Amino acid sequence: MIKLVKVCKSFNGQKVLDNLDLEIEAQKITVIIGQSGGGKSVLLKHIIGLIKPDSGQIFVDGTDIVKLNDRMLNEVRKKFSMLFQDAALFDSMTVGENVAFPLKEHTRLSKKEIEEIVEAKLLQVGLTNVTHKMPSELSGGMRKRVGLARAIVLNPQIILFDEPTTGLDPLMSDAIDQLILKTQYDTRSTCVIISHDIASAFKIAHNIAMLYHGKIIQSGTPAELRSSNISIIKKFIEGTSA
Amino acid sequence: MAKLSVEAKVGFFVIIGIIILSYMSMKLGKLSFKRDSGYILKVFFDSASGLAEDVPVEIAGVEVGRVQTISLMNGKALVILKINSDTKISKNVKAIIRTKGILGDKYIELVQGTEQAPFMKPGDQILNASPATDIDTLMKVLEEVAININKLTGSFANVMGGEEGEASLRTIFENVKEMVETLNLTVQKNNTNVTQIISNLSDFSKKLKNISDTHSDDIRSIITNIHGASEEIEQLISGINKITTKLNQGKGSLGKLINEEETVNNLNDMLADLKNITEKINSGKGTIGKLIKEDETADRINTTLSGINDYIRKQETFRTYLNYRGEYLFNSGDVKSYLSLRIQPKEDKYYLFNVVDDPRGKDSITDITRTINDSTTTERIVETERDGLKFSAQIAKRYYDIGFRGGLFESTGGIGIDYYFFDDHLMLSMEAFDFDPDRNFHLKFKADYTPFNYIYITSGLDDFISDEGNESFFIGAGINFSDEDIKTILSNIPLPTN
Amino acid sequence: MIRFFEFTGKKFISIVEEFGKVMLLFLSAFLWMFRKPFRFRVIIKQMEFVGADSVSVILITGAFTGMVLALQTYYGFRMFGGESLVGATVTLSMTREIGPVFTALMVTGRAGSAMAAEIGTMRVTEQIDALYTMSVSPIQYLIMPRILAAALMLPILTIISDFIGIVGGYLVGVEFMKINSGIFMSKIIEFVDLADIFNGLIKSACFGLILSLIGCYKGFYTKGGAAGVGKATTQSVVYSSITILISDYFLTAAMF
Repeated sequence: MIKLVKVCKSFNGQKVLDNLDLEIEAQKITVIIGQSGGGKSVLLKHIIGLIKPDSGQIFVDGTDIVKLNDRMLNEVRKKFSMLFQDAALFDSMTVGENVAFPLKEHTRLSKKEIEEIVEAKLLQVGLTNVTHKMPSELSGGMRKRVGLARAIVLNPQIILFDEPTTGLDPLMSDAIDQLILKTQYDTRSTCVIISHDIASAFKIAHNIAMLYHGKIIQSGTPAELRSSNISIIKKFIEGTSA
Repeated sequence: MAKLSVEAKVGFFVIIGIIILSYMSMKLGKLSFKRDSGYILKVFFDSASGLAEDVPVEIAGVEVGRVQTISLMNGKALVILKINSDTKISKNVKAIIRTKGILGDKYIELVQGTEQAPFMKPGDQILNASPATDIDTLMKVLEEVAININKLTGSFANVMGGEEGEASLRTIFENVKEMVETLNLTVQKNNTNVTQIISNLSDFSKKLKNISDTHSDDIRSIITNIHGASEEIEQLISGINKITTKLNQGKGSLGKLINEEETVNNLNDMLADLKNITEKINSGKGTIGKLIKEDETADRINTTLSGINDYIRKQETFRTYLNYRGEYLFNSGDVKSYLSLRIQPKEDKYYLFNVVDDPRGKDSITDITRTINDSTTTERIVETERDGLKFSAQIAKRYYDIGFRGGLFESTGGIGIDYYFFDDHLMLSMEAFDFDPDRNFHLKFKADYTPFNYIYITSGLDDFISDEGNESFFIGAGINFSDEDIKTILSNIPLPTN
Repeated sequence: MIRFFEFTGKKFISIVEEFGKVMLLFLSAFLWMFRKPFRFRVIIKQMEFVGADSVSVILITGAFTGMVLALQTYYGFRMFGGESLVGATVTLSMTREIGPVFTALMVTGRAGSAMAAEIGTMRVTEQIDALYTMSVSPIQYLIMPRILAAALMLPILTIISDFIGIVGGYLVGVEFMKINSGIFMSKIIEFVDLADIFNGLIKSACFGLILSLIGCYKGFYTKGGAAGVGKATTQSVVYSSITILISDYFLTAAMF
């Protein structure tokens, strides 16, 4: 479904992605783990076309999105949605308006229909009575939930998660993990999660890929990674510094 | 107080801006509609230096019009004045270029003649025009005077300086000298006679004294004395006679000059010339009289013509315009076309009829209310007829730079407002129509720019508060012909000749 | 020495590059204006922010500049008995220069900086990326409405500023300095052309374009978190003000 072939990207002469190859299975949860600042976010932004690679190809449903112009890219992006690290809610809008935004942009639904969908989606992520609040009035976990609600409101085929549990307390992390699992189960969507939270990764992933020095050094099921004999993966899983 | 909606706030703000702008533009009044009404007068100046278009024309310090154009014709400055229609100007008016204020702005002052004269008609020429009397022209006049004086002294010098002149001068002096000499001679020659007269007179007075002394003497002796006296008077008279004859002889030498044949001939010539002149004047008077008579005739013809003109002009203000405009809608990528007929009976009023081909088609809406099992459902059927034409019929009225329209807009009721800028080259309009309670009404904003006759370009926003996603930016162009244009075009098309 | 040339050369190229980026941003904002959807509501919102909400500031600055102008020109003209020209002078300076320039500078401080800060914050908190992922062009959604709103609203703010400035001048000239009101007004009508006002308004539309474009540009290319936003905001105000004053000269030279 999503396939990256020999993707290279460097910033100011520093190679962040180095001939990276990765295949992401459709309708599965794939977690990409790696060190902080190791280019995980950059990888994710490549998949949705926010960053163009220096070389290489990125296929989404067989289309190489690297070659597309802005307008065609916009069409492809309609399959996607993305939950950002800090939720990236529009702080000039209320929570309700934030969630309704994709609907207003891409559907011709009436005001009332939109309101109904927004309420339903907020309920789905476990939020009530927040529609008229501003994002700044919410806690980090709640913001993430709103972000998730906004990400799933158009029922996208592919959802990208940028460090969904970072900066949350363990309870909230767990709640978000459960939410991702439930959402994926309900919508049968393809989920790509980048994380350095090994515990949560093993909890929710169908597949795990390890990014190290700009390359995917191993990808497979959680069980396969657990039994990996690559020392860096071992250390990463065990949580000891190299 | 309820909080204003964003739209209301912005709308309010924009309206205030437009009101201030309109107020200021009317106050400054240089672009107002007024200036179209008025009539034209022509005037020729030797120099229109410093004069500019649109400077005021004043009578007694009151502005009555403006300068429309300044051009050169036959080496003179032809200035066309546009005078307010309510100002009558008599025929003996004088146009003067004057300077105003410390900045030295030029303007034209019209000075009405004192006599009651007929009024000027549109297109007439002001005959009495004097250009600016500034330092420059003053200097020019002085220069001319100096040149004339120079010429005069030059001819004087010619008269005096040449040999001929010297000769004639010499003869003049000689003549004068001769005259004085003869006068002298006359007096000297008569000297003895004069003494005699005086002694006689003294004798006479002595004898008179004797008479008075000898009071008692005989009357006879008086008579004899008188006799003697009369004799002596006779002698005196003959003496005087002698003087006059001598003087006559002297006069003769002066008279010689006059009596010479040449002089007489000259005199004759002169008289003949004088006669000629008078004759010419006489016959000239005749032609002038004739001219005056003809002028009256021309006047009469003029009045008749202007009467006819007035009538025709009234008919001419009735104008018809044929107009096509196409608007490219960015939203749908289609072209919306308008074919319109504008009938304009007056300058500030017109009727507009439009046929509109809207690519979005024409919606016909039917609400069907059904009652099934006690529950009422209302179904709305919107049929869009793609080929459907829409019609507009509007009446428009204009006040200064603002026009209002009302009537049928694209087959629905509506209103519109137009604002004209830059001599009507730019028109901003806002139209509101299709007031359906279930959706936002149709608002259209457009700006038409007419760079020159016939063709204009347009741009704006169509249906921009649409809640059905019909809002669109558009650009387009149009052509506009008046009946006059069509007439000219038709008459210029070469016809096939058999 | 070589280092000096290297430094100036680099600086020059970076300035040209930045100018090119601003122009490209403007071009794409302009092109996005013609693509659907037409964001009427967003534009209206920006019009409110740039235009309607700036009125109070404009009223105060406009009125006081008009009053101060009247006061200063009164003392100047009194020296040679030209008090009657105070009204015309105030009106000409307001409509031609002070109205457009002061309004643009005030709006730069109020709205231009806010644009840089708002868009900059959106950039560093990934809200702009979020717009991209939702297939919404941030140039169309954020930048085009701001530029359009500023270019449309500045002339209206300017005409309000002009008017209130003249009213302020009238107040000082006629009420305090006892210039005859009829002469005050007639001199204005005599010396001020409608073209003076319209040229001022055209200038102000250009200024609106400049201040919004620079504000948006600085915000859109913000880097480095909260500090970066602060820097972008300050730079946008400084660059906008400088550009407005420089372009004012050229616009004036071209128009009057």
